[in-house]
Amino acid sequence: MNEMMLLFLCGLLAAVFLLAEVRQHNHAHEGTHHRHKIGHKHGEGFVIDMHAYASKISHWNPSFKVILAIVTLVLCIALNNPCVSLAVLIVMAYLTMVKGGLSVSEYLSVMMIPIVFILLGTLAIAIEFSYQPIGQYNLHCGFFYVYTSQDKLKEMIFLILKVFAAVSALQMMTLSTPSSEIISVMRKAHVPTLIIELMNIIYRYIFILLDVYSKMKNSADSRQGYCDFRTSCYTFGGVAGNMLIVSLKKANVYYDAMESRCYDGEMVFLEEEKKVAAGQIIAAAIFVVVLLMLWWFTK
Amino acid sequence: MKQPILSVRDLHYVYGNGQAGLDGVNLDINEGEKIAVIGSNGAGKSTFFLNVNGVLKAERGEIIYRGTTITRKNLKELRKNIGIVFQDADNQIIASTVRAEVGFGPMNLKLPKEEVIKRVDEALTYMNILDFKDRPPHYLSGGEKKKVSIADIIAMKSEIIIFDEPTVALDPLNAEMLEEVLEKLSREEKTMLISTHDVDFAYRWAERIIVFCQGKIIADGSPLEIFQNEEVLKQSNLKQPMLLNVYESLVQKQLVADEKKYPRSIEEFQKMIQQLS
Repeated sequence: MNEMMLLFLCGLLAAVFLLAEVRQHNHAHEGTHHRHKIGHKHGEGFVIDMHAYASKISHWNPSFKVILAIVTLVLCIALNNPCVSLAVLIVMAYLTMVKGGLSVSEYLSVMMIPIVFILLGTLAIAIEFSYQPIGQYNLHCGFFYVYTSQDKLKEMIFLILKVFAAVSALQMMTLSTPSSEIISVMRKAHVPTLIIELMNIIYRYIFILLDVYSKMKNSADSRQGYCDFRTSCYTFGGVAGNMLIVSLKKANVYYDAMESRCYDGEMVFLEEEKKVAAGQIIAAAIFVVVLLMLWWFTK
Repeated sequence: MKQPILSVRDLHYVYGNGQAGLDGVNLDINEGEKIAVIGSNGAGKSTFFLNVNGVLKAERGEIIYRGTTITRKNLKELRKNIGIVFQDADNQIIASTVRAEVGFGPMNLKLPKEEVIKRVDEALTYMNILDFKDRPPHYLSGGEKKKVSIADIIAMKSEIIIFDEPTVALDPLNAEMLEEVLEKLSREEKTMLISTHDVDFAYRWAERIIVFCQGKIIADGSPLEIFQNEEVLKQSNLKQPMLLNVYESLVQKQLVADEKKYPRSIEEFQKMIQQLS
């Protein structure tokens, strides 16, 4: 019962904090416009990429952010404690929205991406089927019963909390660190060079190929290439085949361009040194200790 | 006479499908020259550039840079000193931030990191895009990407800069910006080669024009010489520059005295007209 009270309190706090944030954000909008807008060019799929560049904490040291996210994630899973999960959820939301300057609606829309998977996955844990009316709560569905119990429901809610906390930790990282920096952190962690170079090139190439694809698609569309299902299938095949050829050609031209700038088999990029502030490390350490203490006192 | 900065002797290049790309090219380029390379599509301009840069390996012939013949061993020296700004910036930009992109060349030259950072800042300031530093190239516009691709080469401090059809796909404002950059570079005594289909631009800007046709150089001379040579123009599918055409018509109608003072830019032309009245 004690535990439930604590959870309720935490939930209330979170709700208040969220509301306050919404109002604050609205106020901010009235005065000045978005300072960090880069421009929506590629549609919804790249929102996360765009947020990462626009984040106000993108100047933080990337290694620090990645390590913080991973440590949090591990603690979240290993400690398996709803209070820890809630604390993580709140702190990560604070980091992304207040420190990072992401609006609440955008944060929620990013966080809601995995919701269907989570609900479907956890529902299977909470409910069971039987021919007899058993369990604390049951629902008569024709010839069988769906039943569940308070314990099961609690388990389900705690699991959802844990998953969301873990997701929020990783989102804190991806919403504030551009991919190139995450790759550079992996390079420092001695991930094989081949993988690092592939990641770099793939990341750059995604945008180029998408551009090429949208151009081809538009030109096919303007010639009635998608008028019915059959034609659409044909067109899709044609575009896909063409893409392969274009990407092979592009790869050649790319290699020429790299060679003309003295590329000799090793790809090293200039990275900006971003200092870690002592305050950040101390705050992160305190956060981890608090998580451990939370776990210790509520286990 | 000064020694040419780059000499090309009897260069032959054959494409993978057996087609001749370059067919005996001979050329001397002097320091600080502003050269326009013109010729129809597929005449071998881009192939020539890639050969000169050592990216494509010629069948036959030699390339001499400042008196040393280029072999496999000192190829890097050649690439360091000749930079190419490619036609399509998207085919050149490789890194995922502008900083990393401009630093790619200097990093490959194995310069110390402080020097790389200095050069990147210099090149970005030169192109007036210092505030793009942390931006990813996929959120830049076409003109901005072009600027980045020029900064790439400026950061390498190449002595010869080759522009492969730079004015293609640029709006008038960006094309003007490009000409300003070219002006700035020529004040610094950089040697420049620009391939273009824009005869008006070539006439206005170049000191020397080289005409490619089917893998050969068919003409090499001052803009006036080239554009008054009907045969060369016809052979390479080119037209006379507008200003030259207008001037010659005026002379023909005896509205302007035939003083052989060919105006090269609109400004010069306007001055000439003003003196008439």
